[in-house]
Amino acid sequence: MNLSATLTNAKLKWAIFRSDDRLTVIALAGFVGVCSGLAAVALNRALHFMGTALHGLYHHWWAFLLPAGGAILSAFFLNTLLKERAGHGVPEVVYAVSRYGGLLRFRSSYSRLVSSCLTIGSGGSAGPEAPVVMSGAALGSNIAKYFALKERQRITLVGCGAAGAIGAIFNAPIAGLVFTLEVILGEWRTHNIIPIAIAAVTGTELSRLLQGNQIPFQHQQFSIGLIDIGASFGVVALATIVSVSLGRLLKAMNGVASKSRLPQWVRPGVGGAAVGIIGIFLPLVLGEGYLSVQDMIQSSFTPGLSLVAFAVVAKMLATALTLGWGGSGGIFAPSLMIGSLSGLVYYRFIDWLLPTAALAGEGCFALLGMAGLISGMLQAPLTAIFLIVEITGSYEVILPLIIVSALTSTFCYYIEPTSFYLRDLIEKGQYMLPGTDARVLSDLTVRELVETDYLSVPNDMLLKEFIDVIKHSHRYLFPVQDRDTSKYVGMIFIDRIRPYLFDPHMHAVLMTEQVMDRAVPAVKPDDELADVLNLMERSRLSSLPVVESNRFVGMLSKSVLLDHYRKELIVQTGTG
Amino acid sequence: MEERLLHVFRNTPLGRETLLQSLYFCNTLAANLHIYVPKATQFLMYFDHDAVQVDLDGSYLMSPATAVAHVEALAEQNHIKPTFLTPKNYTASQLPDIPTNFNYMCCPRSISDLSSKIGLGYIGPKVRRIVKSSTFPVLITSPSFKKWKSICVFYGGSNNANKALSWGISLSIKSGYPLDMFTYTDGRNEGYFDEQIKAAEMTEKVKRHVRNWHKISEGKFEESLYTVDDDALLVVGAYGHGLIKDFLFGSKMETIQSWMPNNTMLVGPNCTYRGA
Repeated sequence: MNLSATLTNAKLKWAIFRSDDRLTVIALAGFVGVCSGLAAVALNRALHFMGTALHGLYHHWWAFLLPAGGAILSAFFLNTLLKERAGHGVPEVVYAVSRYGGLLRFRSSYSRLVSSCLTIGSGGSAGPEAPVVMSGAALGSNIAKYFALKERQRITLVGCGAAGAIGAIFNAPIAGLVFTLEVILGEWRTHNIIPIAIAAVTGTELSRLLQGNQIPFQHQQFSIGLIDIGASFGVVALATIVSVSLGRLLKAMNGVASKSRLPQWVRPGVGGAAVGIIGIFLPLVLGEGYLSVQDMIQSSFTPGLSLVAFAVVAKMLATALTLGWGGSGGIFAPSLMIGSLSGLVYYRFIDWLLPTAALAGEGCFALLGMAGLISGMLQAPLTAIFLIVEITGSYEVILPLIIVSALTSTFCYYIEPTSFYLRDLIEKGQYMLPGTDARVLSDLTVRELVETDYLSVPNDMLLKEFIDVIKHSHRYLFPVQDRDTSKYVGMIFIDRIRPYLFDPHMHAVLMTEQVMDRAVPAVKPDDELADVLNLMERSRLSSLPVVESNRFVGMLSKSVLLDHYRKELIVQTGTG
Repeated sequence: MEERLLHVFRNTPLGRETLLQSLYFCNTLAANLHIYVPKATQFLMYFDHDAVQVDLDGSYLMSPATAVAHVEALAEQNHIKPTFLTPKNYTASQLPDIPTNFNYMCCPRSISDLSSKIGLGYIGPKVRRIVKSSTFPVLITSPSFKKWKSICVFYGGSNNANKALSWGISLSIKSGYPLDMFTYTDGRNEGYFDEQIKAAEMTEKVKRHVRNWHKISEGKFEESLYTVDDDALLVVGAYGHGLIKDFLFGSKMETIQSWMPNNTMLVGPNCTYRGA
């Protein structure tokens, strides 16, 4: 076969491949999974490196300045060098999916990796999960952009990036899949699940290849009895209180920091220094805290009840200081740590109160506390269940895990109706899932729906002349404009002037301005469609005039709106 | 419906020149002027396939107390009532998202540098990204205010050039200014360009609207540019070729913008022509 025939054949195959949306996304999902997995491994290795490098310095008196230095460097890198604003990462991804079809800046694919490495590696109390989710999602978005994919496909690849990253960093592909569907995309659709599952598996496999197939926390055998299931209701209560308190503390700290007059790149240093001071007295609050979590699961965490209770408060404060003052990182790892500490507090309290109660062990309650905090903070119970099961390999605790996750997220929902990730977005009205009414309306504009082929008539036109105009028009609405200034002055509804039309005596007497309706509300081309629809409902009109700079532009009708609404809905949901 | 031009205002003498250019453009085309007076040095523009973060320099935030008054004074002199744009959405809580559903955008050659880079021969990376991603053409202004009295479309026969020609015809109709075409044949037969026009089904439009079609076959491309009127608004298709082709053979648009002091309208690859 000659070269040109081979090329033609290859082009044909490529065209067939590109023409099948599912094939394209599935193939790219694997690639996105590899990229996000690499990002997660890189951050993991970098954190290990920083932890080793700085370990020898923590005995110095000035060690409390290390988290401050790391946080300042992180903010300088993020805000000054890359000019990207700080944030937890996950809300930005959800915002991009919600409002802009998953469009993320390329710089986001590496910025949070470096900044969170500096914050967490130097002792800041935050987690690396949100930064890798941001990184993976940005990689997915930019790969979709490179291949000029459609909005739906791009959103799927953003989800693939997030799933690959979570799968790789926790060695937990199912948790990656579930987290993405539950938190990032907020929808469970078949065409999303397959590519996201592929990305989660690819990212996890790559991590296993480079770091070995190890579960983050060693598996322990727990013998779960009826008493443990009963006791898990107490974990629910405690996890709910701690989750709500942590969320409010983070928000309050953020409020305090935003009122500060300090330059933005200095603010994280304040939080970092405060964390460093807490770390002098209680070193376990520093960093992601996975070693302490491991100890708690293995029931080898030695501090007593009061110290563990103090550690819960200290870790919450350290997390709020780190993230609230602008440090780079996520809430995932601190939630695991605070949750396991809370579970431990609860277990030891019950053990002190009822020494004869044969509970499964403090490791089991540490796991339940972790699930409770993740469920409460993220309001994502399935993520919590699958994550805990996968990262510990403890299937025995699945029953109390389900109880704790489901009930904690439900109770937290009643106290704080939105999860920590979505709170700001919902408060600002920026959380709009694809395919929902609000999102479809936000993607349409009055400007693109307005019908401009309406014939305006002057205000001093006689009725008999107007009847001639009606004869040659298929419309039943006629805007009236001032003959001298061309300003819009009112609207004529044919059905409202019927008595005059059938009365020949009026034809030479009445003018258009005498029969027009001046009270018809007008809308502007830049008005929000949701507001326009409300106005239509209130005024009981199916069409409204669109007026710009006092000039009539056209009419906006419900039928045209419905037509475009349907088309947009199909685009957003990918259903025909 | 009236067309809209987006202008990001810089409260400096150079910014005033750019605003005067926008005001003249809006007056000539009866377009609405939408002004964004930045309150932070960054903003985001979300296009269909790209999110562009525009990083402004500090000069855009200069004298915020007088910025709106300066715009209003200049606009009043030009009998235009500008609309001031207030961002509704924010990325990462702090980065304003600027809408992208405009018909035109006006940019200095660099959106984020002072006079050192506003001269000829430089287009800032953000302006490039905007041109590449936008669905509207971008008006790159001359360094100081310069009225244009005719329109000149640079036509090279590509799809993007056809698009630029459509925009040129549209601008000519709306402004009432004569339209010229400029083609550097680059070794091709002159008939090739007529064929391209025919293939794009624009022969009739060209006959009806184009005053002169300068087909230059001698000398270098740079030398041929002297033929173009000094008071013409140049309309050029931009970034229609791939990176490799541009790297190997150079970009005509880059040459034009570095040699011509005229106002230039860049029609990017995603720019959609919405009819005259």
